Amino acid sequence: MFKAIVSAETLKTTLDSVSVLVDECKVHLDEDGIEIRAVDPANVGMVDLRLSAEAFESYEADGGVIGVNLSRLEDIAGMADSGQLVELELDEETRKLHIQIDGLEYTLALIDPDSIRQEPDIPDLDLSAEVVIEGKDINRAVKASDMVSDHIALGVDASDELFYVDAEGDTDDVHLELTTEQLIDLQAGDARSLFSLDYLKDMNKAIPADAEVTLELGEEFPLKIKFPIAEGQGSVLFVLAPRIQSD
Amino acid sequence: MKFASFAERAAAMEAEPADLETVALVSDLFAAAEDDLAVVARFVQGRVFPAWDERTLDVGPSTCYTAIARAAGPNVDADDVEARVAEVGEVGAVAEEYEFGGQTGLGAFGAGGGGDDRTVASVYEDLVALASTEGAGSESAKVDRLFGLFNESERREARYLARLVLAEMRIGVGEGTVRDAIADAFDVPVDAVERALQVSNDYGLVAETAREEGEGGVAAMDLEVGRPVQPMLAQAGTASDALAEWGTAAVETKFDGARVQVHWDGEEVSVYSRNMEDVTDALPEVGEFVREHCDAPAILDGEVVAVADDGEPLPFQQVLRRFRRKHDVAQARERVTVELRAFDCLHAGGDDLLDVPLRERYDRLRETIDAGVGDLLLTDDPDVVAAHEADALAAGHEGIMLKDPESTYSPGKRGQNWLKRKPDVETLDCVVVGAEWGEGRRANLFGTFHIAVRDGDDHLPVGKVATGITDEELAELTERLEQHVATQSGRDVTFEPAVVFEVGYEEIQTSPTYESGYALRFPRFVSVRDDKAPADADSLTRLERLAESQ
Repeated sequence: MFKAIVSAETLKTTLDSVSVLVDECKVHLDEDGIEIRAVDPANVGMVDLRLSAEAFESYEADGGVIGVNLSRLEDIAGMADSGQLVELELDEETRKLHIQIDGLEYTLALIDPDSIRQEPDIPDLDLSAEVVIEGKDINRAVKASDMVSDHIALGVDASDELFYVDAEGDTDDVHLELTTEQLIDLQAGDARSLFSLDYLKDMNKAIPADAEVTLELGEEFPLKIKFPIAEGQGSVLFVLAPRIQSD
Repeated sequence: MKFASFAERAAAMEAEPADLETVALVSDLFAAAEDDLAVVARFVQGRVFPAWDERTLDVGPSTCYTAIARAAGPNVDADDVEARVAEVGEVGAVAEEYEFGGQTGLGAFGAGGGGDDRTVASVYEDLVALASTEGAGSESAKVDRLFGLFNESERREARYLARLVLAEMRIGVGEGTVRDAIADAFDVPVDAVERALQVSNDYGLVAETAREEGEGGVAAMDLEVGRPVQPMLAQAGTASDALAEWGTAAVETKFDGARVQVHWDGEEVSVYSRNMEDVTDALPEVGEFVREHCDAPAILDGEVVAVADDGEPLPFQQVLRRFRRKHDVAQARERVTVELRAFDCLHAGGDDLLDVPLRERYDRLRETIDAGVGDLLLTDDPDVVAAHEADALAAGHEGIMLKDPESTYSPGKRGQNWLKRKPDVETLDCVVVGAEWGEGRRANLFGTFHIAVRDGDDHLPVGKVATGITDEELAELTERLEQHVATQSGRDVTFEPAVVFEVGYEEIQTSPTYESGYALRFPRFVSVRDDKAPADADSLTRLERLAESQ
């Protein structure tokens, strides 16, 4: 059983956060909210999203799992203006999701959850540094790096207490430093890892400019990116595996 | 089997120049393939799916280059890869140059999945998932998946992965090699393997059957309704050769249509093109017709032809317009209706008929479907053949087919048992619609004649003819045509339609110059068709058909 009403804005934010990595996903409809966990086909980036029942206008569920084609559902959500409400109801018989937006009714065929790639475990990582930063600063770093390179190094200099970004292109380079004054918070420990901008650009699309984003970093370790959605009633965690630093 | 060991064996095949040795290498591969036999039997040919299977990877070079570039990083882009391919000449060698694996996977950090050695089976699974990617954003999803595959590849694996994805293995293994290797690996006669491949169109299935069930199993493989086979093909030939060889020939009208194979199991009708593409949805009336007129189960071979409202055949290109249509089928159907002309029957009422002589297959065809079957005329008389051909051409068809009535049906084979007889010399009967006065010695004679085909009441120019006419003929023509001059301007004259020329030519070309849309290449005067009035001259429709069939 699943029946919920949610603002179009929250629904779109939720879907966008997952669709940057995968086309289809399993959605757990738990009593206290929904959870989505998915990893991209190359096993490089994963997302773990939670949206509590409080993020919905109304919410009733008893623990089922459905498989969803994300781009299809995004298209439907796109029919709603941001102020509008979206009603979702699962038909257990037909395994279809009924969606209503201001008189518009859409019946979405669901995907067999067993046919969807297995959900990943969240890696238990002991990361040496934690940076809390505004979403717009991540956007700035990613955008500038993308002008010169397809890779980006993220690091923390423990002695100088700063977070830095390096991007080296064939001809041009980008370097960005943010001190504790420019950051919301910094728990310094030496860390540096190289990441593919292809992935980071996609993840960046899902990060709101005004969000407080927590980055966890290590030495040649995956990056964790955490930020709240739906006015704190939900959260997104991205985990991105590093590239090997050849030089 | 590890994908790396498949790649190693593929490299050995590529390095082996001798055909027999290559067969031995493929045979060894099959013997060692275990659960992956069906997949490797296709992979060695650069195929992911069986030929009858509708699925395709649909990956173009640029998608492949983008994925290679991303896996190759840092700062390699698709243009770099493309430039290397242009230099080196093929994608496999380029993929092999890069060092992949720079991107680590989450599996290495305890996030489940990944980490295992790549097998032929896991590569196949990934490619299946790739083939099922569709819709908006599918291009980038394909790049993502391919990136994942390349990222995990050692150099040699990358070489063959890139080639496999682009369906060009270049290891000297053709269909015949695989056939011989299956026979060799599992000790089954080559003929039996060949036949099984013909009925199933599935190298993987035949290889597995040969291994599991031996010669008996392979020999027992049958057609399956819903799984297309390659159509039997015809060669060009003459009636006299056919009659000398066979005594009696089966003669049928060659319809100017597109070849189809119709499968009907009582529940569903499927229509396949000559290349085994599923064209069922594009031609709904064929399905409706078969449901109404044909007993199930059946596999029919035939042509679909386009017909005008009055039942007259329409040019081949009208059929093609329907064939390639994915959207707005109903509207297209209103403009051009297609009809089935069945001429052979591969399966009827539970019996495979491939090994049955044509004359019996034709009888079964007649029993199975009660309409839409062309006539099959058995004769040993060359005059009867010629008369049938004349009738067929007069009715606007393409010509005739000559078949050995005792021959069996060999899928995919272009043999001597089916002959396509076409008219020996193509000529067109054109209306003379204008001319130009000659120069010098011929100043008082017409020199160049403007010729046209009929289109309803109009006459559309197709070219000018000036060669092949003797001075004597020219004088006679001038005298005759002067009576029909409609307008005159300088050296140019137009005529009322009155005289019909038989005109020979090398080729019909499409042309923006003439209103008909076509131009005759090297037109030459053959004769004046005194027996024909302008209204009997050839039509634009016939010109289009000739253009299509050349």
